[in-house]
Amino acid sequence: MTPTPVLELKNISKRFGGLQALKNVTFDLYPGETHALVGENGAGKSTLMRILSGVYSDYEGEYILDGEPTLLRSPADAQARGIGMIHQELSVLPELSVAENVFLGRQPLTPWGSIDWSKMYRIADEELGHLGFEINVKRPLEDYSLGIQQVVEVLRVILSGARVLIMDEPTSALSPAEVERLIELISTLRQQQRSIIYISHFLEEVMRVADRITVLRDGQKVDTLKQEDTSVDHLISLILGREVNATLPSATEHEDKQTLLEVRDLCSDAFNHIDLVVGAGEVLGLYGAVGAGHFDVARALFGMYRVDGGVIILDGHEFPQRFSASYAIKRGVAYATESRRKSLMLEEANYRNITLPHLGRIARIVPNRKREVDIAEPAMQMVNVQPPDPHNAVGKLSGGNQQKVAIARWITFPPKLFVVSEPTRGMDVGAKNEVLGILRNFRNDGFGVLVVSSEPETVLAVADRIIIMSRGQIVSELENQGNLDKDALMRLL
Amino acid sequence: MTTQTEAVPGRTTQAPSTTEIWLRRARALAPLWTLLALGLFFSLASDTFLRPINLNNILVQVSTLALLGTGLTFVLLTGEIDLSIAAMVTFVGVVAAHLFANLEIPEPWPTLIALGAATLLGLVNGIATTKFRIPSFMATLAMSLIASGLAIWISQGRIIFEISEVSRFFGSGRVGDTGIRVLTVVAASALLVAFLVLRYTRFGRYVYMTGANKSAARLAGVNTDNITIAALVICGFTAGLAGLVNVGRLGSAQPQVINSFLIDAIGAVVLGGTALTGGRGGIIQTVFGLLIYGTLRNGLDNIPQIDPFAKEFITGVVLLFALVVNVVFSGRSSRDRT
Ligand SMILES: Nc1ncnc2c1ncn2[C@@H]1O[C@H](COP(=O)(O)OP(=O)(O)OP(=O)(O)O)[C@@H](O)[C@H]1O
Ligand SMILES: [Mg+2]
Repeated sequence: MTPTPVLELKNISKRFGGLQALKNVTFDLYPGETHALVGENGAGKSTLMRILSGVYSDYEGEYILDGEPTLLRSPADAQARGIGMIHQELSVLPELSVAENVFLGRQPLTPWGSIDWSKMYRIADEELGHLGFEINVKRPLEDYSLGIQQVVEVLRVILSGARVLIMDEPTSALSPAEVERLIELISTLRQQQRSIIYISHFLEEVMRVADRITVLRDGQKVDTLKQEDTSVDHLISLILGREVNATLPSATEHEDKQTLLEVRDLCSDAFNHIDLVVGAGEVLGLYGAVGAGHFDVARALFGMYRVDGGVIILDGHEFPQRFSASYAIKRGVAYATESRRKSLMLEEANYRNITLPHLGRIARIVPNRKREVDIAEPAMQMVNVQPPDPHNAVGKLSGGNQQKVAIARWITFPPKLFVVSEPTRGMDVGAKNEVLGILRNFRNDGFGVLVVSSEPETVLAVADRIIIMSRGQIVSELENQGNLDKDALMRLL
Repeated sequence: MTTQTEAVPGRTTQAPSTTEIWLRRARALAPLWTLLALGLFFSLASDTFLRPINLNNILVQVSTLALLGTGLTFVLLTGEIDLSIAAMVTFVGVVAAHLFANLEIPEPWPTLIALGAATLLGLVNGIATTKFRIPSFMATLAMSLIASGLAIWISQGRIIFEISEVSRFFGSGRVGDTGIRVLTVVAASALLVAFLVLRYTRFGRYVYMTGANKSAARLAGVNTDNITIAALVICGFTAGLAGLVNVGRLGSAQPQVINSFLIDAIGAVVLGGTALTGGRGGIIQTVFGLLIYGTLRNGLDNIPQIDPFAKEFITGVVLLFALVVNVVFSGRSSRDRT
């Protein structure tokens, strides 16, 4: 006997203006099942989930919940019916405490009707402890890394009593250890007969957690497969609809590597005694778990994190103790953050986002729109932003494509040193390769690249040398000549 | 919508239907519809409203407000606010008149010094907001006390009746033989310059970006502190211009702050569609906001049946109503529900 599905979507279609984002997609979910959804950037995964969770109610097709046709009018409506969503971009309130975020909108009350703070702190503390996170739940959430913020969001949805949990790229910001804990957590939830929809670009991860896997391509369903009937390579070919060329441009040898960037004894509250050197024509990987302080080192190199001491020398030129981002840009530093939301103007057109850092170079006073578009267009093509319309607002792109725009802006006027945090976060298999290929080409052209990441795969794929950071300190430095693997890196943390 | 048959699988890109496009355009023009509706109403309800002399009156009445609104648009676009503009108007008027009448300094010095002083106070607003991180709401509130306090102190609380020719020219002069007033021309020029700056220059772009997403602007190398300071300085300067014009219109410098200037200026700018949260709006919107405001105030004066004591109340109700219409019509409230 087959149980009835918790929910079923039949022939769902959804348009955004002229763009057909979903077309006749069918999807179902059984109690206690983990159903993964995979596909390229812009395939329509998030859109489908927004329909599922009541964000969009103007679509065609049928939505059947517990055997009844349903129309969810709002996320609150969906939540009341037991459907909780963890968005690709977090929706926590960073100024509130950890515990308040866990109980957002559902604070426990005392018999007198006031908020029961001690209960709230106790439960939040316990639950986070169960997940293996020992943090002070009274502190504001913004004190913690993106990884922890994500965990809190996951916890909030779980505690709201959701039967169906939608996780849109929940692990894109987590460190490998945190990912392991999340996967453990998912198996606990499965035992509690909760259903999970899991979106991820990490196919190994998908193969580990999913019972079934649905592949979307260009807004249409390609297939739904049982986990045991497929493999990572098979999934890749279904996702892309073609064979993937997974090789990066080969690394050319540079005769004598001149020192491009030299950092000596850089100190702040988040890191200490950082010494590192990036040569011209070299990719240095800076690897660490979320919270290791490596992202703050990257910010410091761009003048966006205050340091207490140390020296930064770029191309023989010593930076002042305090400098602005525009100073860094002028000296040839580019910086792409790990957080899209922080670095993009979502309501503005692509081309404006791309030219923003370079407006001073494009025109002293009046930027010419045609010239801006001419500059932005090839950059968008190089990273393959889809759809490639430079006048489109960034906010209308899929998550992965937004990330591509954040990278594209630095290709237009190549910097001497490209500092990039989590360059491939949220990108599909094909796009990951494209972006890593761009970094590799940068290197081959004699520029310096500093890749800052908590994803071992990313660092291992492109870096010539890897520096490992833990708790704000450099703990080791390795040459990467194909002799390292993921476990070797993680052991050194 | 009908399903399409297609030979090649893949994404169909279909142009939105013409009705959709028109609907979208109609929504974007909500302030225009509000203005036309008000205009139509008053021209039916009053026979004096549509006379050229009265239309010119509307322009004269909103000119002071337009100068305030020009600078305020910059400030709101960066996501800040300036509550000191009404006090600045009074301050500038008193300073100019005091220098001219009591200290007998010849023009153009009183005018220039008064304008410079207002600009300087704008700079203080900017520095307090950015370098000392006092929210602009509080910093400019304090500045409002400082400016009005200075005005009272300098004038010793007395109205200064003697004003210079320069002030009189600004406030009540006419351009040649036409009926057009100098202050209308000053206001229109300020709006035009601001429009060009915001729309076409690099600085204008930075103003929008600072308000839309401050951290993104910083990450792109924009010095958002300087942009915010510049916006508050511009606002101080235009408030100064408004002060000069106002003294000229009244023919004397009064030490009391006319609080309705502040409410009206913010009301007009926001009514036009510039967001209080920054990054959205512009001078075109402000112009519509100003005209709606002007039409409303003037129109009520032109209907003799209305109890003069009820005018303020009616203005408030219509203002709230117009705001609701604007927000609902432009679809801002319902679009994004994430
Ligand atoms: N609000 C919107 N307005 C217009 N187009 C949109 C909007 N949201 C999404 N789209 C478009 O719909 C398509 C599907 O986007 P969606 O976000 O569902 O992709 P995705 O599969 O989640 O991709 P990613 O892996 O990059 O997150 C994209 O082409 C995107 O540009
Ligand atoms: Mg997505």
